[in-house]
Amino acid sequence: MRILVVEDDAEAATAMVRGLSEAGHEVTHAVDGAFGLLESQKGGYDVYVVDRMMPRLDGVGMVETVRKGGDQTPVLFLSALGEVEDRVTGLKAGADDYLVKPYAFAELIARVEALARRRETGGVQTVLKVGDLEMNLIARTVHRGATEIDLQPREFQLLEFLMRHAGQSVTRTMLLEKVWEYHFDPQTNVIDVHISRLRSKIDKGFDRAMLQTVRGAGYRLEA
Amino acid sequence: MKLPSLFRRTPFRLTLLFLALFVATASAVLAYVYVASASEARARAEAGVRAEVEALTAVYRTRGVDALNQALVDRTLRGGSYLYLLMDKDRKTITGNISTSPLEPGAAVQGGRWDDFRLTDTDEAGKVRKRQAIGVEMPLAGGEQLFVGEDIGDIEAYLARLTQALWGAMIMVLILGIGGGLVISRRVEKSMSGLNRVVMAVQEGDLKVRAPVTHSGDELDELGQGLNTMLDRLEASMASIRHAGDAIAHDLRSPLTRMRAKLEVALMDADAGKVSGVDALGIALDEADLLLKTFNTVLAIARLQAGGAPDPKVFDAAELATDMAELYEPSGEDKGLEFSSEIEKGLMIEGNQPFLAQALANIIDNAIKYTPSGGAVKFRARRRSSGEIEFSVTDTGPGVPDEDRERVLQRFVRLDNSRTEAGSGLGLSLVTAVAEAHGGRVQLDEGPGAYGGQGPGLRVALILPPASGTASGTN
Repeated sequence: MRILVVEDDAEAATAMVRGLSEAGHEVTHAVDGAFGLLESQKGGYDVYVVDRMMPRLDGVGMVETVRKGGDQTPVLFLSALGEVEDRVTGLKAGADDYLVKPYAFAELIARVEALARRRETGGVQTVLKVGDLEMNLIARTVHRGATEIDLQPREFQLLEFLMRHAGQSVTRTMLLEKVWEYHFDPQTNVIDVHISRLRSKIDKGFDRAMLQTVRGAGYRLEA
Repeated sequence: MKLPSLFRRTPFRLTLLFLALFVATASAVLAYVYVASASEARARAEAGVRAEVEALTAVYRTRGVDALNQALVDRTLRGGSYLYLLMDKDRKTITGNISTSPLEPGAAVQGGRWDDFRLTDTDEAGKVRKRQAIGVEMPLAGGEQLFVGEDIGDIEAYLARLTQALWGAMIMVLILGIGGGLVISRRVEKSMSGLNRVVMAVQEGDLKVRAPVTHSGDELDELGQGLNTMLDRLEASMASIRHAGDAIAHDLRSPLTRMRAKLEVALMDADAGKVSGVDALGIALDEADLLLKTFNTVLAIARLQAGGAPDPKVFDAAELATDMAELYEPSGEDKGLEFSSEIEKGLMIEGNQPFLAQALANIIDNAIKYTPSGGAVKFRARRRSSGEIEFSVTDTGPGVPDEDRERVLQRFVRLDNSRTEAGSGLGLSLVTAVAEAHGGRVQLDEGPGAYGGQGPGLRVALILPPASGTASGTN
């Protein structure tokens, strides 16, 4: 997919461009908000990755302008400001996700891909299918092949998120933020415990494990 | 030229000012006493003379000059302090106890001509002295003049003694005033110099000094006590800053040292072709993440302590508690703990939800971490009878000894038996910072006691004020 990186720190930008390119994406770099705005007007991008603090036009100003122009391309905000109110202003300006610096690269890629994917699957779906795993969002049922899988409400939400991002890495932080909707550090890997319970329900007794651990990143549901 | 140091001191200057006022007041009082005494004595003498003149003129008016003459002779023979002289119209002496009028000759004045004069006298030692006297010449109907005078030398002497006494009093006022002023200014000086020494020492960086305190309750003593309290707090906060600084250095140094060692081993292994560097890099990344977490927590605590809870909102803590219980229950069960929760409904609080979630996470995580397999962890959220909202986590682990409970809430404090567990020692400090930023508090108590070979356990309670207007709890 095509990604526009708007970042004034040359070193951070270089690392980001390299990392995203190696993950198979086409990356353009703009050095500040004003250039970023010009570049965004050319169109054709799937995601904007915007640094919050930049000279000339900062991230918040750029995103607000982009949104006023009717451009609904998903935006991931990057910021060294990690406080709640900073996150709130960033999201209010029109960003779709917010990542605090310094971040793990896997986290950045996972979030960028999740944003782009969300756009692709815009329509209302009632049934999610990944391989032989099928989730009915109306009846709240899950089947793998012919076997019905009984899930707790939270496990259902967790699996739904994983299925919507099938084939992508999702990080533990993303799961806590998107499934539980909390922003804090759980200290121990409580998410891992929930994943292993879900895994035992959807993979146990099947010859192929769908829910995989991605080293250094998180988890991925493979078809 | 510089004044001697004493004169530049406020207490001494005040003393001088006070003394000047005192002297001025005393002078005024003494002058009044003098004037009042003098005029009183003189008025009394004049009244006596006037009465005598009236009595004598009455004799003259009713019985004529011879009767007056006789009366004067009688009076002179009787003695007394009055001087009498009856003169004819040519100022020739008719009778009297003095030979000539001591008054300057002058025109007769209707109602009497008053004047002062001096009498020449000899005292006991035979020394000639001039005594003050007053007298009056009264013209009589037949042209004669009657002089009556009185020696008021005793009054004069009395006034002279009075003046002397007043000067003496003034000198005593001055001596006592200056002496007292010096004593007072010395005392104030002493207290002030005690305070000054403390301030100077603090300027030099010594926070251990304390002002001498006498508990006399005066302002200087109060100032000294205030200064000492201030220094106590300053010293405590300096100590905690230093402690935090040392602790940060220590806590960041250990993961840094570990990371360095692992990288070094990996480099050697990679050199020897034993292993790829990838594993080591992964471990190094984990260590870097741990460092970042420590940093972030330190910053969060500093921020909470400096600015209170950011972005407060009213929300139902029961939902938060339910979510936290649900999030941690599997971790507890995986460790072989009996994890239970008891959450009341409708616990409205006002605060920063992510920070409160973090605080609860830290408490629950601690309980799970420090309770051995087979134990129990109970999480409760309830409204206290006071209306406050209380979250409590009770475990059956080894607990925290009474004397350490205060201490474990401080930054970077880790009890010796917990060092083997991963952790920064900041968990409960953050909980405390969150509680205080929300106007609440953290309480540590003993757990349920002995529990299947474990115990006595620990009960950690985070107590917060309810959202305003919801204390009655019926929403």
